[in-house]
Amino acid sequence: MENAILHSTAERVLASRSEARRRRATIYLILFLLVAWSIKVTVIDDTDWERIGSFSSILKEAGRFFAIDFSLFPKLIEPAFETLVIACLGTLLGVVLCLPVIWFGAANITPFKPITYPLARLMMTLSRSIHEIVWALFFVAAVGLGALPGILAIAMRSIGFIAKISAEAIEDIDPKAVEAIQAMGGGKLQVLRYAILPQVLPVIIGVTVFEWEINIRRSAILGLVGAGGLGLVFFRQMNTFNYPGVTSVILAILILILIGEVLSHYSRKSVI
Amino acid sequence: MNIPTTTAITGPPHWRRFRFPQSLYHFGALLGVLVFVVFAIDYLNIPLERLLTMFGRIGTQLTERYYPPDINYINDKDYFASVLDTMQMAYLGALFGLLASLLLGWFGAHNVTPSRRYVYPAARLITMICRAVHEMIWAILFVTILGFGMLPGVFALTFFCTGFAGKLLAEEVEAINMGPVEAMRATGANGLQTFVFGVFPQVRVAFTGIAIYTWDVAFRAATVVGFFGAGGMGWYLKRNVLQIESERVAAILFSIILLVLVSEIISAWARNRVAKMA
Repeated sequence: MENAILHSTAERVLASRSEARRRRATIYLILFLLVAWSIKVTVIDDTDWERIGSFSSILKEAGRFFAIDFSLFPKLIEPAFETLVIACLGTLLGVVLCLPVIWFGAANITPFKPITYPLARLMMTLSRSIHEIVWALFFVAAVGLGALPGILAIAMRSIGFIAKISAEAIEDIDPKAVEAIQAMGGGKLQVLRYAILPQVLPVIIGVTVFEWEINIRRSAILGLVGAGGLGLVFFRQMNTFNYPGVTSVILAILILILIGEVLSHYSRKSVI
Repeated sequence: MNIPTTTAITGPPHWRRFRFPQSLYHFGALLGVLVFVVFAIDYLNIPLERLLTMFGRIGTQLTERYYPPDINYINDKDYFASVLDTMQMAYLGALFGLLASLLLGWFGAHNVTPSRRYVYPAARLITMICRAVHEMIWAILFVTILGFGMLPGVFALTFFCTGFAGKLLAEEVEAINMGPVEAMRATGANGLQTFVFGVFPQVRVAFTGIAIYTWDVAFRAATVVGFFGAGGMGWYLKRNVLQIESERVAAILFSIILLVLVSEIISAWARNRVAKMA
């Protein structure tokens, strides 16, 4: 009797395992078919194989980039600085713009939940889901060429991430400090200033520095659509087919981002 | 009787959250930021008066040029095909990028890397380069090398996803519990065995989350890599921007935003489910 129960249990376990295995196999099969289909459509059918030619000609094409135009470097310092400044200003403006979004988007302090909360969430998603190139195109059309559309694009693009993380931090705060300030007779603004802000400021600063680091990367390409900085130089080098110059610009971007990464690492360490 | 009650409510009149030395630092930091802003605005020659007229101009632009979006233009078989292409491009790019990031996450995590002196810095450097170079620059480079089409788009997205997922995965791997790994090493497992049976099971759930997120981000990038000739919807965008067909541009942007929103909702839902399974 006991043996029979054991036996049936073992059988059930084995059956569920083989069931799980079968399901996994189906999922992998579907994934594999998707890959095969995608490769067929995007890579095999769509590619102009004659233009690419043989493997050696690809290497030859790619080899044009493996040289550095050192004479370009002195001319890169100013655009690199410009890129950095655009990233800084864009991030600052983004932080300023995202303050109301944070306020509306944190469920526990939002002023009028049925309307302001979804509004802020929509703002966050929109800001994150529209690519910086698209934002830049929009602002170039609105304010003309120059650094300004780049700054505005970066600011709009940063709102979402900073606001999302900060609003989540506010939702997780310790409510005792809020109650203490309220018990002392503090108004709404005082609660924000003395109970909520001190608790979430490290998070906001940390996420801002993180976003700043990403924004350097973004501001380096906004020149492609009409904002200044390294992107513009990249675009010019590309259009004059000066491939070693392109490599130099990419190298300059890498150095700039490395500096940004080191700075952001240490400043985040000192904040948190 | 009246006087003490009022002082109790208003409190001491000169209370400040920050006292003298600290308040000076805060003031100094604020001043520094303001000086920087003024300097930067001057340095970049930003025409501030344009900022004031910007809202009016955006308003007229939206109402006169971009409205109404030319929905008929995107309600078209070719356009739908390009949307599908974009999805496939993002899918392939994310897949290849994730495969590469598995390797980079292993080699680039300080605690399990095969060699801290050579492999670790190399893996970190590759991850950094992939991440630092923007996906648009990858797209332009591959278009120059391989010509127009979706292949350069797939390559660009692969590099982008490699950097993106590689960094996240390396951070996850660095946070694992080393107990199982050491136990496996003690029984004589080699590097690959330790990674497959000791490290990967610990980060599997995190990796699934990263994978979903990567696909989402890759799709977002894929909608615009075509802007520089790498196929998909971006090519439609570029063409109409150049032809100043604003109503069509509006329709395309509208469709991009809609698709990205849908993909973000799906990804958030899927990541939630994965997190719950853990």
